[in-house]
Amino acid sequence: MAGPLAPTRTPETTEEERGELDRPWVTIVWNDPVNLMTYVTFVLQDLFGYDEPTATALMLQVHHDGKAIVSSGPRERMEHDTSRLHAYGLWASYQRDS
Amino acid sequence: MKPFRAARSGELVARLEAAEAGILGLLLDQLEQLLTADLDDVGDDPVLGRLFPDGHRSDPELAADYRELTESSLRSAKADDLATVRASLPAEGGEVRLDADQAGAWLRTSNDLRLALGTRLGISEDTEPPEEVADETDQQLAVYYWLTAVQGSLVDALVASRSGRR
Repeated sequence: MAGPLAPTRTPETTEEERGELDRPWVTIVWNDPVNLMTYVTFVLQDLFGYDEPTATALMLQVHHDGKAIVSSGPRERMEHDTSRLHAYGLWASYQRDS
Repeated sequence: MKPFRAARSGELVARLEAAEAGILGLLLDQLEQLLTADLDDVGDDPVLGRLFPDGHRSDPELAADYRELTESSLRSAKADDLATVRASLPAEGGEVRLDADQAGAWLRTSNDLRLALGTRLGISEDTEPPEEVADETDQQLAVYYWLTAVQGSLVDALVASRSGRR
């Protein structure tokens, strides 16, 4: 039998909210002419635990395509990831995945 | 300069000439001035814009939130790194010997110096080291490429020590 503190109804999620929740946020690293390729690879391994081939592939994507998504998840975590990249001088930003 | 290499102890070791240590000391002083500058006074300085970038590119409100949330801790982390580098720099030149934490500070601070100098000099991917040093811009370019060599050798030494290759 439900106690007095039990929820009396399940909160309804609108279609719009569901869409928002399903679309995660992403952290992007942008190409810049100063950061060394070896340094970018090193930082991506260090901060995100990527193995060397994965980090190198992301670095090359930044270099050739101008940007790469390096992590995705809730907004607060992407803010945090962006600030960790900024501490290493990488040119990063976060946004909702498009 | 004798570039960084990983010693058997795991420390990262390099050797700087007296003139190199002097230049690095001056650059650290300049970076410190930038980091302690009142942002209202410097306005839209492109170097500070690069050291403290927008967290969000298209939404000014989110960018402002991000700045409020992170800027002071980013600033104090950079100041801590700078102090670590200064304390481990032999003022008259000589051996530099770094543990892992100090190496991290050297990595980030040398990168900040390259970002600051590179932004001032308008470095692009086509910029080349100067063949001869004829004016002040050539001098600054030469310093930029010297910092690149310092930082590059430190990254390579850290990668080598992590993978057990020395």
